Amino acid sequence: MDNSILWSLRLGYSSRQAAIIEKKGIKSFLEQSFNAELDRSLPSFFEKIPKSLFDIKELNAKRRNSNIEERKIFNLEQVAIGVEMQTWWLEKMMSTQFPLREKMTCFWHNHFVATSQSVKVFYWIYQHNIILRENAFGNYKTLTKAILKTNAIVQYLDNNRNVNTKLNENLSRELLELFTLGIGNYTENDIKNGAKGLAGLGLGEQQAAYIPKFEVNETFEYLGKKGNLKVDEMVDAIFDHPKVAFLITKKILKWFIYDNPPDQLVDYYGKYFKSVNFEIKPLLIKIFSEEFAKKTAGSKIKDPLVFLFQVFDEVSIKPDAVLINKLLLQQGLNLFNQVNVKGWEGGRSWINSQTFQQRNTIVDIVCTSKNFIQRKMNLVEKELLENLKNDNLKVEIKWLKNSNSKSIINNFTNRLLFDTDEKLNKDLDVILKYDFDPKSEGAEFAVTRLYNSILKLPEFQLI
Amino acid sequence: MNRRNFLALTGTFTGGKLLLPDFLYSFSKQNAIFNPNQCLVFIQLNGGNDGLNTFIPFENELYYKARPTIALSKSEIISANNGMAFHPSLIDFARIQQNGDLTVIQNVGYQNPVRSHFRSQEIWQTAPEKQEYLTSGWLGRFLDIHCKDHTPTAGINIDAYDSFALLGKEPNSLTVRDPRSFSSSESVENKLATSTNPQLDFVRKVANSISEGAAEIQKAIVKTKDTDFLYPKSELSGKLKWISKLIKGNLNSNVYYTSTNGFDTHEEQLGIQKNKLSEVNNSVSAFYDDLKEAKLLENVTIVVFSEFGRRVKENGGGTDHGTAAPIFIIGGNNKGKVIGKNPNLLDLDEGDLKHEIDFRSVYAALLKSKMNFDGSKIGIVNRPLEGIF
Repeated sequence: MDNSILWSLRLGYSSRQAAIIEKKGIKSFLEQSFNAELDRSLPSFFEKIPKSLFDIKELNAKRRNSNIEERKIFNLEQVAIGVEMQTWWLEKMMSTQFPLREKMTCFWHNHFVATSQSVKVFYWIYQHNIILRENAFGNYKTLTKAILKTNAIVQYLDNNRNVNTKLNENLSRELLELFTLGIGNYTENDIKNGAKGLAGLGLGEQQAAYIPKFEVNETFEYLGKKGNLKVDEMVDAIFDHPKVAFLITKKILKWFIYDNPPDQLVDYYGKYFKSVNFEIKPLLIKIFSEEFAKKTAGSKIKDPLVFLFQVFDEVSIKPDAVLINKLLLQQGLNLFNQVNVKGWEGGRSWINSQTFQQRNTIVDIVCTSKNFIQRKMNLVEKELLENLKNDNLKVEIKWLKNSNSKSIINNFTNRLLFDTDEKLNKDLDVILKYDFDPKSEGAEFAVTRLYNSILKLPEFQLI
Repeated sequence: MNRRNFLALTGTFTGGKLLLPDFLYSFSKQNAIFNPNQCLVFIQLNGGNDGLNTFIPFENELYYKARPTIALSKSEIISANNGMAFHPSLIDFARIQQNGDLTVIQNVGYQNPVRSHFRSQEIWQTAPEKQEYLTSGWLGRFLDIHCKDHTPTAGINIDAYDSFALLGKEPNSLTVRDPRSFSSSESVENKLATSTNPQLDFVRKVANSISEGAAEIQKAIVKTKDTDFLYPKSELSGKLKWISKLIKGNLNSNVYYTSTNGFDTHEEQLGIQKNKLSEVNNSVSAFYDDLKEAKLLENVTIVVFSEFGRRVKENGGGTDHGTAAPIFIIGGNNKGKVIGKNPNLLDLDEGDLKHEIDFRSVYAALLKSKMNFDGSKIGIVNRPLEGIF
């Protein structure tokens, strides 16, 4: 695979950025990605959702006092807004020229998890996302402090119930286990004491705030620091811990490059991350530019976003974001709604018998639409097929029309498969034989068949 | 994988017509599966089910002292015996116990308990000797050795996500979200060649196992008649219904695995646990009656467990993460006893129960009695727990 295409897929969702990477080089591409203007336009659902604590409570009261019919309508409205929020983000991912910010926002989204199904207040989820978006390339420590003060996180991890009369350890635990240090770098006592420091940090008007009557005000020990620590000082204590850089460094390597990052790389980049005071930009520049120079293709299984966006972009179709969202859901990626606080596992977890089978079905639908061989399909797959059959979406496979079979195959493998060997090339030669005439009547058809086969190779699942 | 043969085949038979190469291969010869009559069914209660409010030490005053708002009163509990009683939602567990088909193993856990969901689940699923981080699950390792050759349906996980417990070197298990979506596919005789890229090998093996498993599952489903009469409507119930279908259709899997979420009751425990236990009770009850009517209960051992119990002392409306808890064994000709002492609420470890029975000794007993398999072959060195079967 062409290295620029590989990195376009890794730092984005398709091969669309390959040309810029090729022309300007990886570092300059990164600079452009960092500097690209942040889209601050308000989403369509913004006006529809309550924002003040007062309005949120009022809405909840309205729901409680509604009869069954009203409740049904209410619930449908909520589901619709949830989908609108998901498609708001998907459209950003699809349309942006510099997808790195979206990709990094999604990384944080999957790190500081707060699901909308559990939090149930869209405005808080939106605010949470905006903080991730604005701090995507900022400072890890600053971001950690900011995110702990979101109503979304406080509600999601029960900290609104963590009060001096009955402590709740949920946020305290996840702060250390999942957000920063990782298991093995703290004690159960740190968790218990952390809950004291966080006690009283409850829901506030625009962000979470301490409610004095619920606080614990006593001296305790936390990661070796003593005092009546509050959330910011706790984060300071965490970031003084020698191990704090490694969990996040490893996750970044996993998110972009390696399903199984080598320990020495985690150590190497982690130390660098600490040396730049947890600034994310220099870390990304270092990782991406150094890894770009290495041969690393095939170290990562595509997540559903990359798989779907790449397939659709390849054949120049743009299905409706609502439909894409449904497909993502069946592929195990539900934006704003991870299964649990640990977030999507990534890597091999994306591929199981069912998701793999569906990936191949999608490829078949896209490649063959009108000639699609009947088989069992679910409703979402049928919807995609109908769209293609009705010519709402016109598939266009890019291939070298004035060339020969060898060049056509090479062109496909360079942009679609992380690696090929002699054996694979011979296999492909069988589908598009050496005497293939690109001007002949069935040429388009034969090329489609080749293309279809390539997209279903296990090799296509890797970048 | 021998792509060349396959693509050659495609090229030969299409004759200009588009044939979709599925890259889904199947071995022509299935292995004879061992112990064809016995299987284990695991039901994992995710989130840490509160054992003390499930199987309740209702005669222990310390229980009421530690839980002023969430303790279950003596008038609510059911099927009291020898100081212990069931949560009122578990009415059918009590019935199954009356029938002599349910064993309770008390205070199950492990040394140096971890109170993190993920790590503790990992520990239960991988069964390490000294809490080392393992890359395979205990059932996956068991199937690796026990299946003479790659056997794609030796383990069936009915869930949205793969279970770590079944992860082995070979994909001897399948994750199925909805067995109906498996359509039979043409099989092509082929074998896999491994590359130097583990991720690629993984995808290839998944691709490979699909059609094999699909055909087997399809066959099993076709064989069984619908038995909708018993099962209530719930997620877990649906999953167990499928497992029963596959068992009755002679899929001959040795392990079935499934899970249900929602036991992390930091808050509002009374209501949440009541609902969740009802769901478990009603689903397991239907599954039990179904198997019993089919005269298969003695071949099927159901194991209900959770990654940990919860703190003895309540936090107001709920409980935080704890340690030891009971395991329930149903069917498989178990002796129907209560094994282990009643929970000791006086001698605690940081406010949590000290475990008395190691979960690995339960695993060892299941493997030995039901699969005639020595647990030490997969690193489970604990002596099999006596008295279950």
